[in-house]
Amino acid sequence: MASKFGMAGGIPERRVRPIWDAVDSRQFKNALKLSTALLSKFPNSPYALALKALILERLGKPDEALSVCLNAKEHLYSDDAILIDDLTLSTLQIVFQRLDRLDLATSCYEYACGKFANNLELMMGLFNCYVREYSYVKQQQTAIKMYKVAGEERFLLWAVCSVQLQVLCGEGGEKLLLLAEALLKKHIASHDLHEPEALLVYISILEQQAKYEAALEILSGKLGSLLAMEGDKLRLQGRLLAHARDYAAAAAIFQKVLESCPDDWEYFLHYLDCLLEDDSRWCKGIVDDQTQWSKVVGTGTCNLSLLTDEVFDSRISSALTFVQKLQTEVDNDSSRGPYLANLEIEKRRRLYKKSDDRKLMEALLKYFGRFGHLACFTSDVEMFLQVLTHNEKTEILEDIMKVHESPSILPAKALGQVMTSFRLQESTGVTFRLPAFELQSTAARMTEMYCKHLPLSKDLDPQENMHGEELLVMACNVLVQLFWRTRRLGYLLEAIMVLEFGLTIRRYVWQYKILLLHLYSYFCVFPSALDWYKTLDIKNILLETASHHILPQMLRSPLWPDLTDLLNEYLKFMDDHFREAADLTFLAYRHRNYTKAIEFVQFRERLQHSHQYSMIRIEAPILQLKQKAASLEEAECILENLNHGVQLLDLSSEENCKSLTFNEDMQSRPWWTPTPDENYLLGPFEEDLLCPEEFMGKKQANERETRLRKVIERRALLPRLVALSIQTASSSLKENVKANGSIDDNSNSSELKHLLERYARSLGNSFDDAIKIIVGILDGQRHLEDCSSHIVDWMNYAVFVNAWNLFSRDLALPDGNGCQFDSWNLVDNLIEKCTIELLRSTEPLLKCPGHDLLSLVQMVTETFSWHCLVIQSCLRSLQPSGKKKKRGSGAADHSHLPLCKAIRHSVDSLCAAVEKVTTWLKAQLNELEDEKLSFLLSSLQRNGCDEGPGHILEILEAEAATPNPEVGFRISQMLQSWSSADVARKVIKGQFSVLSEFYCLCNSKLKSMQALRQLIP
Amino acid sequence: MTTIRRFCCNDLLRFSPVNFDHLTETFNMSFYMTYLARWPDYFHVGEGPGNRIMGYNMYILLELTTASYVSAVMGKVEGQGESWHGHVTAVTVAPEYRRQQLAKKLMNMLEEISDKIQLGFCIEKRFLSRDKAYFVDLFVRASNMPAIKMYEKLGYIIYRRVLRYYSGEEDGLDMRKALSRDVEKKSMIPLKRPVTPDELEYD
Repeated sequence: MASKFGMAGGIPERRVRPIWDAVDSRQFKNALKLSTALLSKFPNSPYALALKALILERLGKPDEALSVCLNAKEHLYSDDAILIDDLTLSTLQIVFQRLDRLDLATSCYEYACGKFANNLELMMGLFNCYVREYSYVKQQQTAIKMYKVAGEERFLLWAVCSVQLQVLCGEGGEKLLLLAEALLKKHIASHDLHEPEALLVYISILEQQAKYEAALEILSGKLGSLLAMEGDKLRLQGRLLAHARDYAAAAAIFQKVLESCPDDWEYFLHYLDCLLEDDSRWCKGIVDDQTQWSKVVGTGTCNLSLLTDEVFDSRISSALTFVQKLQTEVDNDSSRGPYLANLEIEKRRRLYKKSDDRKLMEALLKYFGRFGHLACFTSDVEMFLQVLTHNEKTEILEDIMKVHESPSILPAKALGQVMTSFRLQESTGVTFRLPAFELQSTAARMTEMYCKHLPLSKDLDPQENMHGEELLVMACNVLVQLFWRTRRLGYLLEAIMVLEFGLTIRRYVWQYKILLLHLYSYFCVFPSALDWYKTLDIKNILLETASHHILPQMLRSPLWPDLTDLLNEYLKFMDDHFREAADLTFLAYRHRNYTKAIEFVQFRERLQHSHQYSMIRIEAPILQLKQKAASLEEAECILENLNHGVQLLDLSSEENCKSLTFNEDMQSRPWWTPTPDENYLLGPFEEDLLCPEEFMGKKQANERETRLRKVIERRALLPRLVALSIQTASSSLKENVKANGSIDDNSNSSELKHLLERYARSLGNSFDDAIKIIVGILDGQRHLEDCSSHIVDWMNYAVFVNAWNLFSRDLALPDGNGCQFDSWNLVDNLIEKCTIELLRSTEPLLKCPGHDLLSLVQMVTETFSWHCLVIQSCLRSLQPSGKKKKRGSGAADHSHLPLCKAIRHSVDSLCAAVEKVTTWLKAQLNELEDEKLSFLLSSLQRNGCDEGPGHILEILEAEAATPNPEVGFRISQMLQSWSSADVARKVIKGQFSVLSEFYCLCNSKLKSMQALRQLIP
Repeated sequence: MTTIRRFCCNDLLRFSPVNFDHLTETFNMSFYMTYLARWPDYFHVGEGPGNRIMGYNMYILLELTTASYVSAVMGKVEGQGESWHGHVTAVTVAPEYRRQQLAKKLMNMLEEISDKIQLGFCIEKRFLSRDKAYFVDLFVRASNMPAIKMYEKLGYIIYRRVLRYYSGEEDGLDMRKALSRDVEKKSMIPLKRPVTPDELEYD
């Protein structure tokens, strides 16, 4: 905060400055002393009061701060003589904002503006208040008032932006755009425009109304000179012409753009589209980030090229000629655009004329000749490969693979070509279709090549990428593929070893880290996964886009302190940003960057509706509940802070779920887990999953988003379900339950039923059908695996239904094979069945990667916790209170006998389940580390076999033991420090720590349940 | 295949593969957005085909290839009189697009803009028009040898060392390159001694 100067409320600056200086240097206690002294001299000064409030807030006394602020506000309102100045108001505004009472700040400014009309400074402050509240209509009204007073362009633009925001983010209809247009036109007629951004806004308003010709006219007129960079102007012109379907003119403009920037790929595509009169790309709604007017782009009907053959051919040959000219103009080897252009032209020719001549293939091979050594080659040509027939792909790959791997070191360029060849084989799915033996030798070749070429990087700074680095990524991918197919643990370990080896040599390779953290997560070695994740230094906005690499598995793990840190870090980032976002928007208004003001508001909306943000806001309190579930009172405390779970219900509303945005960047995820909720390694090998082009198509993305919305809906209900279950369990034990059930009790019960219906719907069933499914599972008529969604979701459902049934007694359970269930039975049997199911492989974790440990953890820490809370609530109500009369209590006790029996059975059932888990855990915890080590290392011993894991490890160990003298000192030091046994121990220790943490959680649960048993009357 | 365009907010959600690189700092939101709010013309991104960010330089350069964003450039113009210069705040290029002289293109772009553009600044109620800049400067970590070498190749010299510039720990090097307006290349005469951060003229 800068120091403020001047007189405010009649206080001389010299008295005020030391206070601000103290605040700026964070000496708040000192500032408070000074401010109190100031107030004693000027007890009625709203400014002096505002200063004190500001300091109190910074000292962590929000309640006092608020009360002083309100006092200041009263003085402002009551004393007519005082000139209300912006300094006082803005100081108050700062405090109100920090106290999350923007409304009070706004009302101060509204009052001041009402009293002192036409005061621009006050009105700007008021505008700022509306910006903070995202009240676009009020923003507009205030801006118009300022414009009427001062006639300044900036105020007009503020009003126009406010109109646009109503249309884009608010409830405004598109007719409002006409108003904005009219305002601008009128102003321009008498005043012109002086800001380039104002011109951009004007043009965008016209674009949004599809008035392209009008926009073009303005751009070509005097106002067009506001855009200082000719390139920007041409690009805008071209796009407008393309939207207006004046293809010839657009193509000519784009040609000019390319003449000055031959390498501009996006504009080459625009050029070609217009030349061929193909607006399919525009129709698909390719978001034009520059203008953000995604509502406009893509709303036209698609007109695929209707050119005749002759015209098409002639246009294509003009394009080819032009491209050749561009190629002669680019003077260095790094401009790929004009060369890739050939491929694009041939692709269009092929698609349009459905020809299958060899031109596209020839163009591909030519491009390979020139740029095949570059790391980006594969991604450059991906889309062209897709257009080839299967035979053509095979032929191209064979041609490219002819680049020989020689026994001696290849120069960097040739190495690049070999790597491209590997990459292409991987991306076209060729590699993964090889038989296992060939896959293995491919991985070996890649690893050998990496080791052999280490000398190429010997003089590079360790912070620079090494030559051939990606070979280890590719080798790892192949090894994971082998593991998936053969289920041989050694391959999984080798994949881990390869990456750890690479990171020992150069610890900055993020691609290795991401692969490793996913491999460790799969193998339940969460501490190591987390360690590597932390070295990525994921912070600030990366928390939104990259947390998905670690959060989903951590959420279900027993490592609660680390999880709490991750969740808090994310929430702090988001909350801090939302708090400052509006100020940044106002900064854009102030600096006349109007398009940015709009962009900021839209971006904030996007982040506010982030799926991950919703998810974490739900999971953070659920974690707290899990942590405190042993004590009913503590759990109730947490629930109270959440307004008994009501606070989170909003997040489960249809409106919220529909508007969720998915901002995670999945690009860098490993091939076997393209999204957080998919992991191919958990299931059997499926060849269909190998086709890279089919990964994450639009349809799959939509399906995934629908699923995730349902998860949010379901999880957001949890705290409220827990709160209501506790309440209804206790209500059910009040004397004369049904007859005298209070209104609250009845409404709780019906709300619980309603929420259970929603919960069941999110699982894809009605309330009754969901019960039938559970009964079916217990009967053996249904399999757990067949149930949509997660086993734990079904268990939770049963627990809450039981709680509801305690009060309502309405549950009608179908007969299953002649057995009668009551709802307690249902829960007990389900717990037993699911525990057995989740422990079905009694193999230790080390031998069984992909074991569903996390579901076990979730079952124990969630389902069992909720059930225990219901039981605790019952027991608390069953306890004789001092007020109860002894007379008749005998009868009352007897009426509760069946319930007590059911509770006892349930507690026994829970204890038995947890004991099964702890037995399984203990066996693993007791095993000696050395035994585990020799087991792991034995899975990597080849024992003279050619086939099977171990070959790659041999290569790594050979290199580490006797490094090539050419690798240089640094690399050879790193090599010698690497040991496969260390990596194996890391796996063992990591698993041990996870299992031991889980064991502690189970034990403490067991103890609390045993204590519960004692309380059963 | 570089498309250079203005960096926008949504690009913040797409640059993670670039920012994973340990030499690339992920600044806080206020930093990026203040730049966007004040100097949107100095913050560009390099976009590759398939709309991936290949890298960025807080200035400009976009490489449009089927892959990713190439790079974004952030810069601003500051100073008065002969100290009017363009400042490069951040440069980064994604690993797979390195060794293709993208950074060179990026920096050229920045210099071109600093060289040519007429900027209007409004300070309070006055409108001041500024002329072309004299030089471009940037800070780089003293340990970041790859970057230092790259800038030297592009014609930058080490103007001065700023002690403990980075979080009070690591030294920074202030590197400069004169533009056409600085005919005598006065801005590139290196200082004889290192300075401390509080001696810096601009924040």
